[in-house]
Amino acid sequence: MADRPIHIVVAIKQVPDTSNVRINPQTGTLIREGVPAILNPYEVHALELAVRLKEQHGGKVTVITMGPPAAVEALRECVEQGADRGILVSDRKFAAADTLATSYVVATAIEAIHKEDPVDLLLFGKQAIDGDTAQVGPGVATRLNVPLITYAVKVEKFDPENRTAIIHRKVERGVEILQTTLPALLTVEKEIAEVQRAPLPNIIRAAQYQPEMWTASAPVAFDVAQIGIKGSPTIVGSAGTPPLKKAGAKVTASEKGVAETVKMALAEVRRVKGEG
Amino acid sequence: MTKLTFDAIVVGAGPAGTSAAITMAKSGLKVILIERGRFAGSKNLFGGVLYTEAIKEVLPDFAKRIPSPPFERPVTEQGYWLLSPDSVVRFMHKSESYKKEPADAYISLRAKFDEWYAAQAVAAGALLITKTTVTDFIKDEKGRVVGVQTDRPEGDVYAPIVVLSEGVNNLLAQKLGLAKMDLPPRLVALSVKEVIGLPQPQIEQRFGLNGVKEGVAIDIFGDATLGLPGTAFIYTGKTSISIGMGLLLEEFVQHNLHPHEVLARFKSHPVVKPLIQGGESLEYGAHLIPEYGYDRMPKLFADGVLVAGDAGGMVDALHREGTNLAMTAGRMAGETAIEAHKQNDFSAKFLREYRRKLDDSFVMKDLKQYRRMTDFLDETPHFMKTYIDFANDAAMRYFNAHGLPKRDMEKGIVKSLGQRRNFMGVAKDMMKLMRGMGI
Amino acid sequence: MSDTKNRIWVFIEQENGVAHPVSWELLGAAQKLAHDLPDASVEGVLLGQNVRGIADEAFRYGASRVYLIDDPALAYYRNRPYSFGISNVVKKYAPNIFLVGATSLGRDLASSIATRVRTGLTADCTELAIDKEKKILAATRPTFGGNLMATILCKTARPQMTTVRPRVLPTPKPADGPVAGEVTSEPLGMTEAEVGTVLLNFIPSEEEESIEYADVVVAGGRGMGSPKGFGLLKELADALGGVVGASRPAVDAGWISYAHQVGQTGKTIRPKLYIAAGISGAIQHRVGVSGSDFILAINNDPNAPIFGIADFGIVGDVFQVVPELTKQIAAGDQPLATSN
Repeated sequence: MADRPIHIVVAIKQVPDTSNVRINPQTGTLIREGVPAILNPYEVHALELAVRLKEQHGGKVTVITMGPPAAVEALRECVEQGADRGILVSDRKFAAADTLATSYVVATAIEAIHKEDPVDLLLFGKQAIDGDTAQVGPGVATRLNVPLITYAVKVEKFDPENRTAIIHRKVERGVEILQTTLPALLTVEKEIAEVQRAPLPNIIRAAQYQPEMWTASAPVAFDVAQIGIKGSPTIVGSAGTPPLKKAGAKVTASEKGVAETVKMALAEVRRVKGEG
Repeated sequence: MTKLTFDAIVVGAGPAGTSAAITMAKSGLKVILIERGRFAGSKNLFGGVLYTEAIKEVLPDFAKRIPSPPFERPVTEQGYWLLSPDSVVRFMHKSESYKKEPADAYISLRAKFDEWYAAQAVAAGALLITKTTVTDFIKDEKGRVVGVQTDRPEGDVYAPIVVLSEGVNNLLAQKLGLAKMDLPPRLVALSVKEVIGLPQPQIEQRFGLNGVKEGVAIDIFGDATLGLPGTAFIYTGKTSISIGMGLLLEEFVQHNLHPHEVLARFKSHPVVKPLIQGGESLEYGAHLIPEYGYDRMPKLFADGVLVAGDAGGMVDALHREGTNLAMTAGRMAGETAIEAHKQNDFSAKFLREYRRKLDDSFVMKDLKQYRRMTDFLDETPHFMKTYIDFANDAAMRYFNAHGLPKRDMEKGIVKSLGQRRNFMGVAKDMMKLMRGMGI
Repeated sequence: MSDTKNRIWVFIEQENGVAHPVSWELLGAAQKLAHDLPDASVEGVLLGQNVRGIADEAFRYGASRVYLIDDPALAYYRNRPYSFGISNVVKKYAPNIFLVGATSLGRDLASSIATRVRTGLTADCTELAIDKEKKILAATRPTFGGNLMATILCKTARPQMTTVRPRVLPTPKPADGPVAGEVTSEPLGMTEAEVGTVLLNFIPSEEEESIEYADVVVAGGRGMGSPKGFGLLKELADALGGVVGASRPAVDAGWISYAHQVGQTGKTIRPKLYIAAGISGAIQHRVGVSGSDFILAINNDPNAPIFGIADFGIVGDVFQVVPELTKQIAAGDQPLATSN
């Protein structure tokens, strides 16, 4: 059976590296200077899966992102990893979008891509490490009316000819093995594919690659009522650093000796819990 | 699969490599510039001061480029501080003629400058590849270098000439047998520095600067490095101060010193502390500096290969010069490569021309003149401490002789020198110093 | 039953006929919200096959009505039939607020519902309250890996939807006996053929008891140094009848599996006793465990941030303190009162 060329779309997000984030204690906002922007880690693995499937079946990988102009860097990194085409959907009108407005933009853009070049598989990362909502993937699947499988950890079988695939989904108590029709939308965990070092020809290609820039009006005309602030039912009311418990006593073990200090600790546990 | 082929490969997008790439790309050669860091400059660190003469020779219109080069402050005052444990004697020079634009020298931060500089190579037509490390050479049946291997799959790149500007950790130069040693502790210095953030007005107030177009570059000897032969520095950035110190690796080992402790001690010196008070630590890093000296430099060329910059040991630590030697050498390597292409001759015999260019320039002339400097400091380890402490002591006596007959004060000064070092010793030291300076 | 203005809905999650405890935590939260909203009622939404009995449990936990869609196509969870069925019910009955547990099922489901009905959804909330002036839901959640807490409002779109992770909210006490309530049955309106996904098999994981509902958690961080260090913690956990947890650096180092990870990126826990050994206490960790009743921290760095939330802190060597704790607990005849 000859494999027909496939088309996989990977939706990515450029995010601040949240392990390096600092918060301005006065304004409660993010200090963005000096924080490197990275490709959301879950999408790195989603893209790797797409590239592997492309290598097996022949075809192409399109990467799409809704973001600020700086996100072209993330698209170039995707081309380094093996993507063929990168699209940045960027416009001031998209700003301050919540997940509903974001899923509208991403789904509409994917529909336009699909019209030119039918899509077999849609891949999203499990969640973005800045928002941590995990909502955009499911939102897009719903809008596009395709089957959704979240927390995908393995593609056991991928059969574009017969429009079917077998996916492993990790849940709390174990792993579900699901069969789905194609196209389908997966949100993936890092285990879905191990990232390999990109070959040099890809790096060279990426250095010279210019991603496509789409705006709110061209080449796709987005509905202004559904994008940006207008299309976002939720807004941030306020933000601040997390409140914390107040500290209790702190004892240095060497002062009274380990045994005595432990005795004190256990007495305190009994005292507090006894009242509770 | 088609081979990746270029007219020239440049290893390392630091000042030397980028200068070579710009020179070659401008003349129409197809150049690939391969950098192992995430971006050009991510692996580089210096004090430091950039000299525009060298940049101008590579990019005559550098000051007019958009975006403009990311310098911090022009050097409008510079000099030396001789530090003893609780005092300092300063020799500073300031002049109206420093205030031209572009200035002769700028205090800079390498992560910003190198990235900008490499972008100029891209603008000239060079292909810049990052996050890729060159791991070995590809040689033809006659042992001539015809390309490089990298640490990526399908990572072989071919070119008749390779400019090797891989930096102080010159593993590739060692692989080719051009460098005979691997970072010998006696010939390599370790320099540690911190970038401390302070508001612009505060920096200007503390250092007597009149706005952002003034800056001060101070090189410091003596107590900063515990009297051992090494250097320390304070350079004023726009909204930050670069402060650091360096010593030969061997000194750290011999005296059991930890670099961060030496820097911390320097920062807490009563003369230094108020200058950086209240600042925020923005960056803390270390870098190795080659100090082979003229007689022990690696060989700088072979069939198909030219070596430039730190990889070839091109640092004049005494004069705080390294990046300008690197840029000049990189340019000359580029020029030699262009000529080699014209003649279609990439043999070592032809590439000797590169060495000749260097010999004719300040690069080799200075390295040759100060070739005995490291040996001198090695043989007279007491030199810094003795004379710097003496200078401070002499100044103290001189300036505080009110009510004391001046003749007594003068005798006291001479005696205090005699207590530190007998006159024979002083004479010997002076002679050795002159020899070390190549006089 | 009179038709109330403000319906507060809770999704009753079930698997194989067993309700997920997060559903009860949400009913508890819904009751509190109902106090601050005029004319409010607390109702449940239940889907499955032959799950009518679970509605009775929901009544005991405070629901006055349960909307039930019982259909073979809902025998096990799949996104399409569940989100389709629930969205129809939402459109029909127009609830004001809709709470869903942020389990893997809930996080898969909630956004699909919110998208179908075009409303706002706030994920992983740690706090829910009614804004006194505006009478709308204020949902607080961590962002940027837990470094910043944001309070989200959904001003006009309805229902105001949020998901809440298990164990973030307290479990309410259920009524002692059976409680009456109304069951409103609705059809699914979707056939099996339209679903698109089929469960072929399920491989259960071999993990021991869940850390989320343990009363005592003994957790180790980078300071434990090695898997052997975690052996000491297991002994202490056994002496206390608890489970072993870990901070993210210890899991990243490979000393223990991810299932044991506590903290924002692992599991949020609120045990009666939490012992943090060799954990420095990055904010993501602190937020994930600060709901514990009693926190005992052991670290040899007196400046470790974990001490900022510890009810009792010991500055010392974990390799001396932990075995001493095990020794004294095993020897002691006084219970630690951690099981009430």
